[in-house]
Amino acid sequence: MAPPTETSQPRLATGCRWGGTEEDRMILYPEGALKLQNTGRQVLERCDGQRTFGEILTELQKEFDKTDPEKIRTDISMFLEQLQKKRIVDY
Amino acid sequence: MVFNPLALIAEVTHRCPLHCVYCSNPMQLTAASNELSTEEWISVFRQAGKLGMLHAHFTGGEPLARNDLTELIAAARAAGLYTNLITSGIGLNEQRLQMLVKAGLDHIQISFQDSREDAANWIAGTKAHAHKTELSHAIRRHKIAFTVNLVVHRQNLDHLEEMISFIEQLQPERVEIAHTQYYGWALANRAALMPTRAQLETAVAIIREAEKRLSGRMRIDSVVPDYYAKYPKACMGGWGRRLMLVNPSGKVLPCHAAEVLPGLSFENVREKSLDRIWQESESFRKFRDEAWMPEPCRSCDRRGEDFGGCRCQAFLLTGDERATDPACSLAPAHRIVESAVEEANSTADIAKPAPASSFVQLQKLTNDLWSYRTNPE
Repeated sequence: MAPPTETSQPRLATGCRWGGTEEDRMILYPEGALKLQNTGRQVLERCDGQRTFGEILTELQKEFDKTDPEKIRTDISMFLEQLQKKRIVDY
Repeated sequence: MVFNPLALIAEVTHRCPLHCVYCSNPMQLTAASNELSTEEWISVFRQAGKLGMLHAHFTGGEPLARNDLTELIAAARAAGLYTNLITSGIGLNEQRLQMLVKAGLDHIQISFQDSREDAANWIAGTKAHAHKTELSHAIRRHKIAFTVNLVVHRQNLDHLEEMISFIEQLQPERVEIAHTQYYGWALANRAALMPTRAQLETAVAIIREAEKRLSGRMRIDSVVPDYYAKYPKACMGGWGRRLMLVNPSGKVLPCHAAEVLPGLSFENVREKSLDRIWQESESFRKFRDEAWMPEPCRSCDRRGEDFGGCRCQAFLLTGDERATDPACSLAPAHRIVESAVEEANSTADIAKPAPASSFVQLQKLTNDLWSYRTNPE
């Protein structure tokens, strides 16, 4: 499976959902839980199946304007690809 | 140090329509009359939610044997728990499945014994295979995570590729290729279940190849059986560390096998709160932290990773529940596991079911080979 493209619409995979507390949000999935750091949480909260990967990147590049936008793209692409392999995210 | 528990194993009944020879239930099963009521389970889930637990795993026996399962799942979900149903699928039709999904079931895991109907029914001691297959198709029509649990062992590892192909067609998101462990009925049947080294090596290669091929479509989870590993498994993520099990009669156990351990008393949700049991009960405290560890565990670099392995296995194999798990290559009693492995590799022929067309014929041929799990009274 390839990394997400500009027009991919990432979303949580079937049977995966948000859980945990307000401070400690996590993704619950079959027999597991993914604790999210700040950035991870910001990415996944935008994976609503509507926003495209391109749109998510633009939002986060604006948010983290001190970081190289290309690094943001590579990091987030890799992050989503890893979660897709674990069947936590689809796009 | 007491960690917060993360997962509740809700062993809601020991009743089961199957008789799997590798079942890890205790040989002494809870009678149906002694099971917790609906209200008692609802209280357990409420307490688990308050404790900040994240997952409830509905298991048994066969959890579908409980008529109130829909209510139980709804209660666990309402309490904030992610709900996993670990089941054979027997007792589930599309209508009931729909009700469970509506009640908030997040994830269903169906066990498969083989790709071949005769062999699968032989292992389970029941004609279950066709139903499981049909049910899998029904599951795919619903918004629910789906895992296939394929139980592998000496009797079926020779056609692992075929079994993986079969499972692919069912389209689960995830497949667990579960080598049998040896507790309960499976320990009694160990000689017939333990794979040869050759079978294992072939399996590892096949699984590696399948993982690559299926990457992004199906996730494969698989662990080498601990008898063949260098170090023991981190059983339950550590004693009294992350998981607790409530058995059908309300007894709270650190793991499903803990009742084999001598001199431990277990507390019951009917008498005490889940929180107090987790924090204070003698059984949960017994092997927490490191004070109980003998050498070599006590000064081992890995003690924070595998916690000395499994207490129940240590007891079952050595008679000493404090001993280093004999599955560990550093264990003084490692020889016990080595012998079992040698024995598994010395028998030239691997017992196979005769090529019979009917299940009844197979059963007649195999009463000597192993014992089938019974149902509680």
